[in-house]
Formats: sequence, C-alpha cells, structure tokens
Amino acid sequence: MEKVVELSGVQKSFGKVRALKDVSFTVNAGEVVGFIGPNGAGKSTTIRTLLGIIKRDSGNATIFNMDVWKQSLDIHKRISYVPGDVSLWGNLTGGEIIDLFIKLHGNGNKAKRDNLIKRFELDPRKKAKSYSKGNRQKVGLIAALSVESDLYIFDEPTSGLDPLMEAVFQEEVARIKQAGKAILLSSHILSEVERLADKVVIIRNGEIVEIGTLDALRHLTRTTITIETEGDVAVMADLDGVHDFNQTDHHAIFSVDNAFINSILLVATKLGVRRFEAVPPTLEDLFMRHYEG
Amino acid sequence: MKEKFARWDILFFQYLKRDWKKILIWILSLGLFSSGFVPFFNEMSEGEGLIAMYETLQNPAMIYMIGPTSINSAGDYTLGAMYAHEMLLFSSLFAMIISALHVVGHTRKEEDLGLTELVRSFQIGRQANSLATIVETILINGLLALLIGSVMISFDAYTITIEGSFLFGASIGMAGILGATIALIMAQIMSSSSGATGSTLGIIGLLYIIRAGTDVTNIEFSKANPLSWTYLTFPFTENDGSFLIYAAVFCLVMVIIAFTLEGARDMGSGYLPERAGRDHANQSLLSISGLFIRLNKNVMISWLVAFAIMGAAYGSIYGDMQGFLESNELIRQMFVSTGISVEVSFTSTIMMIMIILVSILPIAVVNKLFNEEVQLHLSQIFATKVTRSHLFWTSIGLSTLAGVIGILLASLSLAWTALSTMTQQSPLNLTSFIGAGLNAFPSVLFFIGLAALTLGWAPRWGKAIYVYLGYSFLLNYFGSILDLPKWVSRSALHSWVAHMPLDSFEIGSFTVILMISLCLILIGYSGYIRRDLLEGA
Ligand SMILES: Nc1ncnc2c1ncn2[C@@H]1O[C@H](COP(=O)(O)OP(=O)(O)OP(=O)(O)O)[C@@H](O)[C@H]1O
Ligand SMILES: [Mg+2]
Repeated sequence: MEKVVELSGVQKSFGKVRALKDVSFTVNAGEVVGFIGPNGAGKSTTIRTLLGIIKRDSGNATIFNMDVWKQSLDIHKRISYVPGDVSLWGNLTGGEIIDLFIKLHGNGNKAKRDNLIKRFELDPRKKAKSYSKGNRQKVGLIAALSVESDLYIFDEPTSGLDPLMEAVFQEEVARIKQAGKAILLSSHILSEVERLADKVVIIRNGEIVEIGTLDALRHLTRTTITIETEGDVAVMADLDGVHDFNQTDHHAIFSVDNAFINSILLVATKLGVRRFEAVPPTLEDLFMRHYEG
Repeated sequence: MKEKFARWDILFFQYLKRDWKKILIWILSLGLFSSGFVPFFNEMSEGEGLIAMYETLQNPAMIYMIGPTSINSAGDYTLGAMYAHEMLLFSSLFAMIISALHVVGHTRKEEDLGLTELVRSFQIGRQANSLATIVETILINGLLALLIGSVMISFDAYTITIEGSFLFGASIGMAGILGATIALIMAQIMSSSSGATGSTLGIIGLLYIIRAGTDVTNIEFSKANPLSWTYLTFPFTENDGSFLIYAAVFCLVMVIIAFTLEGARDMGSGYLPERAGRDHANQSLLSISGLFIRLNKNVMISWLVAFAIMGAAYGSIYGDMQGFLESNELIRQMFVSTGISVEVSFTSTIMMIMIILVSILPIAVVNKLFNEEVQLHLSQIFATKVTRSHLFWTSIGLSTLAGVIGILLASLSLAWTALSTMTQQSPLNLTSFIGAGLNAFPSVLFFIGLAALTLGWAPRWGKAIYVYLGYSFLLNYFGSILDLPKWVSRSALHSWVAHMPLDSFEIGSFTVILMISLCLILIGYSGYIRRDLLEGA
C-alpha cells in the first residue's frame, strides 16, 4: 500500500512544554486512521505540524513523500483540512466563505458544493457571526468536501454537529475512502472512530502509545462476559485470565483476557450454562485503559 | 431596577484587581504628561518668552491646533495661562481616547469574545458589567485629576495656583469621563467592538475639528461642544468651573441613555440592522487580495474619509491665517525678517502631522494579518496552496496602497481648500502640496516596515508601533512650540525627513529611509515564513 503520511520520531516543544515527545505513525491510501487521545495529548499539534503551520523540532514528517515543512505548497494542493473549531469572518456569509475556500484550494466542484449545502441543511445566506457552533463546522466541512484531494485531515470535525449531520459526514468519509483517498481523523467521538477507522493511533502526553487495526487492538484487551449457571458460578473467579469478578447468586459478570476465553468456556460448560453473553471490548474500553494507565 | 445591576460591585472590584497595572500606567503616564512640563514652560516664559509665545499663538492656525486663551493682551499672559493654553486641549483629548478604548474593551469587546455570556450565567445583573466599567472609569479619572493637580502644585511656580491646578486636573478627568460615556453609547449602537471603537474615535475627531472651526470664527459656538467644555474652564485665568457642571450633567444623561439602549437590546446585537447576505461569493472576493480588501474595507474607508476631512479642515485655515498676518505687524515683521512665508512654514508642519496620522492606516492593515491569524480565521487557508509569502506580500501591498492613497487624499484636500481660501498671493501651488506629501512617503513605508518586522519576529508587539508613532506625533505637534533638545527631536523618525515645502527635497534622506524601510520589510518577511503560526497558543 502506498504510504501517504509518514511521521517518525517527531518532536515539538513550545518553550518548556514538550507537546510532542515521540510521534511516529503512517497513513496509507484508501485507509481511515483514527487519531485519539486525551485532551492536550498532542493531536492538534501533530496535525498542525503536518500542515506546516508549525515547525517540528526534530524527526521526519512527510506527506506524499514530500517534507511537510519545506514542500508544503506542493502538498497543500492535494489535501483538505477541517479544524475542530472553524472560526469564520463574522461579516461574510457562509456561502461566500465556502466559495472562497474552494477557490483558494482549487479543484472545486460546484454541483458537489450545492449538494452538500443541501444535505448539511446550511443556510448559506446568513452572516457567519450568526451561525451556531455546528453551523460554523458545517461551513468548514462543506468547503473541504467539495474539492478533490488525496488526503483529508480532520481535527474533531464533527464537534457540535447533531447526530443526523454526523451521519452525513460519515457517509461522505465512506465515499472518500471508497475512492482510495487517505483520511486522518482525530476525534473524541469514539463511536464515530469505531465505525469509520481501519486503524487507530492512540496518543498520550505527546507519545504514541498504541497503533493497530481495531481488531488487533481488541485482541489485546478483555471481553466482558455475563453468565448464569445452574452450578456455583463462584469457581470461575479463580481461573487464570479472569478479572473484576462480580457475583449475585447464580449470576456473574467479569472480564476475561481474550487469550483465556477457551479455558473459561471449558469450565463454564461443566456448570450448566443457562445464559451466556460475551461483549467484545468497545473502543471506549480500549481507550479508558490507555487513558487511565 | 436593582436586579439589572445586581452584584455589580463584585465585578467592579474584580476589574480593579485585574486592571491595576494598566490603571497605574494610565494614571502615571497621562498624569505626568499633563502636569510635568511646568518647569519647562517656566523656563520658556522667561524674558520676552511669554509675549513672543502669546503673539505666535494668536495665529488662527495655532488656535486651530491647540485651542484659544481667554487673555486679550500679551501683557496679561502668564505662565499659568500659557500652560493651560498649550496643554489642556491635548491632555483632555488623550484622556478621552484612553477612557473610550477602555470602556469598549470592557463592554462590547467582551461581549464579542463571549465572555459576557459566561459572566451573565452567574448571579450577576444584566447591566452590572456596564455599571462596573463606568464606575471604574470615573474612579480612574478622578484619581488622574487629583494626581495632575497635586503634581502641578508641587512645582510651586508663580501663577500656577492651587485652585487653577485642581481645575486643570478636573477638566482633564472630566474629559476622560466624557469619552467613556460616548463609548458606552456607541458600544450599544454598533454591532461589533471595532465598530464601536471606530465610531467613538470618529466622533471625538469630529468634535475636535468642529471646535477648531468655532474657536477661530466665534468662540461662543464652542460652548455647545462637549470637547470644549474642558479647555473653556480656562484654569489659572478665568477659573470657570461651570463648564464641568454642564459636562457632568451631560455625562449623566448619556449614561442613562446608554443603559436604556442596553436594557432594550439582546446580548451580542446592536441597533444598526443586519442585511441578509449572498449565497454565492462575488468574483471579486475569490482571491487573497480580494479577501483582504474586503476584510479591511470598513477600516480603510473610514480612515480615508477621515484623512480627507482632516486635510480640508487644516486647509480651511489658510485664509484666516493670511488675514491675521495682514493685521499683526509684529508677526509679519518676524516672518519677513527670516525670509520665510508663513503659509510655507505652516504647510510643512501640517503636512508632517497629517503624514503621521496617515501612517496609522497602513500599520493597521499589516497588523490585521496577525489578528486574523490568532483568531484562527486563516487555519483552513493555511492548509491550501496559498503560501505564506502570498499572504505577507498581499498585506504589505495593500498597506502600501492604503498609505499612498492616504497621502494623496490628505494632501489634495489640504491643497484644494487651502488654495481656494487664500485671498492673497502665496508661493504655494498644487504641486508644492502634492510634492510635500509624496516626499514623506518613505516615512509611511518605514512604519509599514516596522509593522512587517513585528509581524515576522514578535507579532504580539504589533501595537507597540502606535506608541512610537504617537511619540513622533507629539514631538512634531509641539516641536515648534517647545524648545526641545536636539537629540530628543531627532528620536522621532519624521525629523529626518525633509520638511517640504520649507526645506527643499533631499534625495539622500529620501532614499536612505526608503532603503531602511524595504530592509525592515524583508527582514520581517524572512521571519514570517519561518515562524510557527500562533494557533492554539
Ligand atoms: N502554540 C502553543 N504554545 C504553547 N503550548 C501549546 C501550543 N499549542 C499547543 N500547546 C500545548 O501542547 C499540548 C498539546 O496540545 P494539543 O492542542 O495538540 O492537544 P490535543 O490533543 O489536540 O487536545 P484536545 O483533545 O483538547 O484538542 C498541550 O499541553 C497544549 O497546551
Ligand atoms: Mg485538539
């Protein structure tokens, strides 16, 4: 697969604050990479480095095999970006701003623009200062999605959008991905990342702490099991790989390391299972483990 | 009623705590500026100094610039009279402007930034903020008045009486309160803080120009002008405090109007209507230059109109000036003996003053780029194929253009009104005005260079350029009246520029300043393309 974004050992300090300590990951063509981490972890800083808005102190960062700082002009012709807080000129209308952004980017598609305005239900005639947070976000999204690019960088793009509009956004991302484009999506809405991302990159305190496909990451964590048995369920508490065991009568809830699922099942069948439910870890569980740890 | 202002006192003390440094600098710098020149004037008044100064300041052009005196004959002119004559109007003007900026900053600006929304969600009355701000400003101006009075008395100079000193201080303090109330009203009427600031400064400028006219033609009319209520008290001579009472009543009425307006409007809105906009952008907007023109349009138009009015206002004085020379033998002798025409000498001074004011606009245009940057308006544009050089040079280009148009407008309107009001023969013609204006172009470019330099290397210092500009302005405005040491006047850039039409064109200094300015711009450029853009900081 063609590597579109490649970061290795990127560092960045603001005065004494070490915002990025060691950031390395890649984004391939046709891939949606979810970029998640707690507040202040360095997501936006990483993205601004990629965009050439700020200059990294050390490490390598390339997009389309070009240096993000030195060759930013050539890179920018082929990328679209939506910040998490789209800030607009109060006395221009949404329509004017969208047209301006499209024009400055190039490769705009007029029909696409009008279609997106309709689907996002934006009134383009209003002055931007009267837009709500969600509507400002829509202006940024419409502008970015109306142009042809090879890489889309979204920094919390849906903050403030209602669920219907978020669905429109997700459809659009799926379409871009189908077309073989690369997408870097930073978000705190984990269900969104879970639905869209092929790969997840977790950053904490300026360092990447986990990278992998969702499946692979799930494998590393525990499944939550709810079980009801005829025999005494208490025996399962001491099995290898069982954690957070919680029993009420014949009923138990616990989590189990995925590697031990088989041995658990063997014991359970002997107890006479009445009910059994296994819930794979959500991204949220994964996330919590990293955030708290 | 009570509920509207509930807990304003909490905000008030909060503001004092938050602003104390600013307040200290404000009171000290303005207070010392207004009162500290007594020894200097004392020296000037020795010997024939007072009489010479009296005669010079009888020139309508001088009354136009610095205001009138109540004294009718040179023999009665005293140190106190001269001090109030030369200092009171300007000190009052500064007090007004600073207070106005402070009030807009604490009311409309906070509203624009969304801070008001947060504050109102607590148990704080809807109008508590305005009340707290206006009380704070009144307190500051009261302290300012006391400081000015005390410092002046402390010099223990002849004719600087206790009564006069405190009246002098009180006039300046009252000017500050006047400025604050005008600003408070404009903060309700306009729909943004920049609109409120612009219109308040515009009103103050207009009051200044109107008073200039009425002071020269018929001072009775000036009595209807709020700005004039400050210097018409004539401290040290008439000591007429009644104007301060008018001013206080006027302020009270203005504050009540402002509170009524504020009570009746929604937060975040103004009284001027919003029009529905277009759903597609005009072709003219679809480029960086188009965008920048659009963003700077209001500021540019307002300033350019102001420059034209200013030129016309100063130009209208030429006729009176000739009449004055005709009737005043002493002054005419003075000018004849030096071989200088008074029109020429006045033109060179006024030209320089106008050029300094014209420089404000180009600085504002360059600073705008950084404002846009910190407000995150450009985030999405930075990620397009638009380069930083493109943004930078478009700003510099637009700013230079604004400077040139400003110079031309100011000098043309000065020329036209001057040439049409002069009844006697004069050595001036249209070319001498335009030439004098264009001759000062490098000085405008120099300030663009300074703005570019800060934009590239220390963008948060962009506003400091106005301080240097203001300093240059003061030296030029008062340089002819005060006898400053050479090194002091040399510290203003404009003293290095040939004062045309009095001096002849100097190609040397013209090119040197031009070159230095270009270098500053290039140094600024090299910083701007290298530095981190300030986002999220
Ligand atoms: N321009 C700057 N100057 C100083 N510190 C900065 C600057 N930009 C970011 N930081 C700091 O760098 C760290 C990383 O910030 P960043 O904005 O990248 O976090 P984030 O992961 O995007 O957080 P969030 O989820 O809240 O958006 C924070 O500690 C932040 O305070
Ligand atoms: Mg962020």
